[in-house]
Amino acid sequence: MLMVAPALLHASLWIGLPVLASVVLAFTKYDVLTPPQFVGFDNFQDMMGDAVFRKSIVNTIIYTFFTVPFGMMLGLLTALALHTGLKARGIFRTAIFLPQVTATVAIALVWLWIYNPGNGLFNTLLSFLGVNGPAWLASTSWAMPSVILVGIWQGIGMKMLIYLAALQSLPKELYEAASVDGASKVRQFFSITLPLLKPATFFVLITSMINAFQSFDQIYILTDGGPANSTTMMTYEIYKSAFREFRVGYASAQSLVLFVLLMGFTLVNRRIMGGTRGHS
Amino acid sequence: MATAELHKTGALRPPRPAAKGRRRSAGRIALFLTLCVVSLLMMVPFIWMVLTSLKTPVEIASQDAGLLPEHWEFGNYADALKAAPFATYARNSFIIAFSHTLINVLVASMAGYALARIRFRGSDVIFYLFIAALMIPTYTKVLPEFLIVRFMPLAGGNDLFGQGGSGWLDSWWALIVPGAVTPFAVFLFRQFYLDLPVELEEAARLDGLGEFRIYSRIMSPQVKPAFITVALLTFESSWNNFLWPLLVTHSDNLRVIQVGLSVFKTENGTQWHFLMAGTTLATLPMVVLFLIGQRYFVQGFATAGLK
Repeated sequence: MLMVAPALLHASLWIGLPVLASVVLAFTKYDVLTPPQFVGFDNFQDMMGDAVFRKSIVNTIIYTFFTVPFGMMLGLLTALALHTGLKARGIFRTAIFLPQVTATVAIALVWLWIYNPGNGLFNTLLSFLGVNGPAWLASTSWAMPSVILVGIWQGIGMKMLIYLAALQSLPKELYEAASVDGASKVRQFFSITLPLLKPATFFVLITSMINAFQSFDQIYILTDGGPANSTTMMTYEIYKSAFREFRVGYASAQSLVLFVLLMGFTLVNRRIMGGTRGHS
Repeated sequence: MATAELHKTGALRPPRPAAKGRRRSAGRIALFLTLCVVSLLMMVPFIWMVLTSLKTPVEIASQDAGLLPEHWEFGNYADALKAAPFATYARNSFIIAFSHTLINVLVASMAGYALARIRFRGSDVIFYLFIAALMIPTYTKVLPEFLIVRFMPLAGGNDLFGQGGSGWLDSWWALIVPGAVTPFAVFLFRQFYLDLPVELEEAARLDGLGEFRIYSRIMSPQVKPAFITVALLTFESSWNNFLWPLLVTHSDNLRVIQVGLSVFKTENGTQWHFLMAGTTLATLPMVVLFLIGQRYFVQGFATAGLK
């Protein structure tokens, strides 16, 4: 059909072809200047010996492990608070959602300034209390928590919004029946709300995880993966291999690993969440 | 949203005993205050950004400065625009975001319409291809996309086989074409067109209208919210995009605002007052757009939940 043609053409050239190329290039040695050379599984073997890449996988998982569940908890709590029908909820919703529509680069720059060891906001406030704050982003022990805090802060709005939409579609009859039966609010939350929110939770979990796995802008601005690779992520390593070291084949192999890991986590999640759905 | 209905059910309930009502209102005040604190925490970085953009460099550098500026230096904005070509960066970002929005709305709505309303051979397969495309991570595509741009035949001094020149690198083509159509928009449009009644389409067909006319004159005006949602989301993600423009441009007159900001950070030894003024300028259009189109933004994000 003629009307799908432009979109289909665009998708095949800028999505289909790149994905195929990625898979092929992962088995080659390629520096853009000379033609690619087939090297079999060499790139994957190199990866196993690459301590920095292994570190980046661990970092990516740590970052995801902290930003996603904490962000989801805060998102759900704010959604529940906003669902009570307060008059000013529009203003609150806007404030909480705002970080989501602003660019990660702009946000990261502001946080870079907040974390500034000399006179950033954090250390200015700490100095009022007589505390000498650390050099947040330059410290191997504080850099990761600092990056995670930004991730949680920026992501709350989206998670809140999806939970809010889900909460508003829950059947009210159930709550009325539960009230009549004398179930407390807390009881209602755990035996009605939470199970009914399962599809929303699954959706939030998957999308947040995909986003967390692909974080790049904030790392680029905040830490450049440092200090001492303490905040480097898989995406940052892929970027470095490809565009700083011109090891395109190696970078393709790395991105393939990222893709497989993402798919793996998604499938595991689906199994866990799908498995419990039958009981509720 | 649907909270209005909550009010209604509350009104229908029998009046509560006074004591319970008082406890309830105390709870409400606590909730209100908690939300105030949470909202403030979410806003602090933005407030800090604006406050810093209005301070003098001396004040920023001094160790014992207060949180508020001593003199409100509104001139920082004019000076920042002189110190770095933020106006050019903003113009570039605007051109790209605007073209992406226009192309995406046109091409994706056509595709979405065809996939929703017209039965043709392979339409299911095409739909599943678009769904699959949705799930590919950016990083699996970005490298080969860069190579396609670099080796684009007969462009930027390249020969027929893409050798010899720089292809589309450092050109408007590279900034606009690859990201113009998103599978997500196709998917969203399809969902909206699916909900329309068949009668409308049949009446138009009886009147002898061609398929393109049915799409453009009859069906599309019925899904205006879809158009607004896709337009807002496309503009937002295009304005905020960083990695792709960073990769495909190097000349200053093609830099977009997000890349311009990040360059400004390192090159000038970070002049925080200028950088925060620039960041405020880069953030402002999105904040304004969000406030105007809030209803659709919220709807779009909530129904789709994707970024």
